Amino acid sequence: MTDPVHSKIEPLQAGSAGVRVDENAKDTASGQVRTRRKPQISDTPPAPPPAPTLADYEPIIGKSQLDELRFVARPLQGKRVKMVNSTAMGGGVAEMLNRLVPLLDELGVKTSWEVITGGNDFFEVTKGFHNALHGADFALTPVGREVFLRNTEQNRKRMSFDEDFVVIHDPQPAGLIASKSGSSRWVWRCHIDLSHPNPDVWGFLQPMVDKYDAAVFSSPAFARRLAIPQALFYPCIDPLSDKNKDLDESYIQSVCDNFGVDRQRPIVTQISRFDRLKDPLGVIQAYKMAKKYVDFQLVLAGGGATDDPEGAVVLREVNEAAGEDPDIIILDLPPWCALEINALQRASTIVVQKSLKEGFGLTVTEALWKAKPTIASSVGGIPTQVIDKHTGALVHSVEGCAYQIRYLLTHPEFGTQLGKNGREHVKENFLMTTNARRWVLLFGILSGATA
Amino acid sequence: MPSTTSTGLTPARTPFEFKSAAPLLFIEREQASNLEELLQALQTCPDGSIFQHTFRTLEEHHFIKEGFSNDFAHWAYTDLREVGLGERLTGLDVREFTSIAKLRERLIQIVEEFRAATPSAEESTSKTPFYFCSSKITVLPTEHSATTLAEFIDGLKQVSLHSIHYHFIEARLRRELETNDFSIWLRRDLGLEQEAKRLNQIDIYTSTLEGVRRKILQTLQKVG
Repeated sequence: MTDPVHSKIEPLQAGSAGVRVDENAKDTASGQVRTRRKPQISDTPPAPPPAPTLADYEPIIGKSQLDELRFVARPLQGKRVKMVNSTAMGGGVAEMLNRLVPLLDELGVKTSWEVITGGNDFFEVTKGFHNALHGADFALTPVGREVFLRNTEQNRKRMSFDEDFVVIHDPQPAGLIASKSGSSRWVWRCHIDLSHPNPDVWGFLQPMVDKYDAAVFSSPAFARRLAIPQALFYPCIDPLSDKNKDLDESYIQSVCDNFGVDRQRPIVTQISRFDRLKDPLGVIQAYKMAKKYVDFQLVLAGGGATDDPEGAVVLREVNEAAGEDPDIIILDLPPWCALEINALQRASTIVVQKSLKEGFGLTVTEALWKAKPTIASSVGGIPTQVIDKHTGALVHSVEGCAYQIRYLLTHPEFGTQLGKNGREHVKENFLMTTNARRWVLLFGILSGATA
Repeated sequence: MPSTTSTGLTPARTPFEFKSAAPLLFIEREQASNLEELLQALQTCPDGSIFQHTFRTLEEHHFIKEGFSNDFAHWAYTDLREVGLGERLTGLDVREFTSIAKLRERLIQIVEEFRAATPSAEESTSKTPFYFCSSKITVLPTEHSATTLAEFIDGLKQVSLHSIHYHFIEARLRRELETNDFSIWLRRDLGLEQEAKRLNQIDIYTSTLEGVRRKILQTLQKVG
């Protein structure tokens, strides 16, 4: 599992990925016209790679850390855990569970994963809840309550809960707590920001949450005052996933060649959906300010323009802002381009995440893991990761972003130190193995096994 | 008569058992956006919070060797933007404290003195509150133990940085002594008085934890 797996870049299918292509781009450095190859992107997702085993992580975290993880899990041998969430595919929670469940299982904590079911009406209500808990307006009607409670009851009847630990992810299945019985310990893992929830929706959910034995949040800023203990689990990345594993230099080069990215010149990259909250227009402004002083290319790569009408509008605005500048490379990639994203991050001189609002910001974690000097906005969970001048540069404006680009491009030794620290920070705090350790520690504390 | 080792030292009667520690973080109720709230929270927060934001800072940010001595200092500098308070808090050395109660007293004293000397700071408010967390520590065995200096050096090379932090930094709270597990064993069981003293002089605030490990090794590899 430790050998990099190379994806073959398949021929571009008509209408598959909306990749902005400059057929004849002028190289501003040399003044010559250079031709960009048409990017080739597969229009179907590749088969998922097999889940890594614990031993696969040893070269990354070291034998001593891996031994410690096994020691922590020892008192829990034979205990059973059930994870419950609302979707088996898509989204960060499912992606994380796909990796976490086999790891816990291998540690001897038998872990199963079940997904709740429900009709369209249920998921419309829970989507409303999700947005409302993020602070959006939402009218919680008696019908909405009834739909939520009815579907919860149906799921309770369908599922059994005789495990030692039950972990419920996010608000959709929160009502399953009504099935808690005996000595089992229930944990509510909230992945969303509850700092400013809609009071009606939170008022409806809080009595359920209070019945859990513990809650887990991704940031202290996202938590609520609750009567139960609240653990802090930072979101994490898997260093062996396609998005983060080591890649062969030749593969990175082939991706850059395919996308028309010149590796002989500095590359500044922002990876994110084409979403206003990621401020791609702000990044282009920063590029234009910095470009007066230093030569570099800007890569804006992400998705969201094909499945989100607003994303398409933002992509159009980004294209307009980029104009005919051949050094701005805009790539609207499908969600299965994890290897290509990985290669672009690794090829970058600097990674930028100039979000106006952010959750935890896992794209920042990915960049830090690749030891890239990272410039990121001081929003959401980013300051937890980017400790200004230690693991990256925090910025608060377009001007700040432009200045940091100039500074880091002209002080590469400082960038190297930031990148090195950033990778250590991720290794210590934001890897999948750390997450597995947190879960077994929490189970141990809740059961009194390791208190 | 006990045999001696290649360093000429008698093997220890009590082996050094390397242990490690795994922390789990909890979010506490206290938070602060200004000096008054900080002071109040310092008075009421659990001991685990004082430990987390001082001793544990060095472990969480073990790769940084300057300007990150504790979370309170970092917040005062970067969020509250009270440089004077940040400096005073940065100067706090956890090695001078063998109990959390004393450390808490000192933190409160620093904030109170700064408030008294800087009335204008009363107006300062941070957009980013200081969120008090605490850590619950689970102590773990490791597969490494030593009865000779060579075995000790070998174990030291292989254990995790969590283990170094546990024995070298956290130990003083457990033992209520201004020293560390390594120095105690080296002096008591191997008779390495000078080396034990030198280990205690390693500056944990100007080194990374990996750097601390290197300095300990350098000190011990000179023996014999």
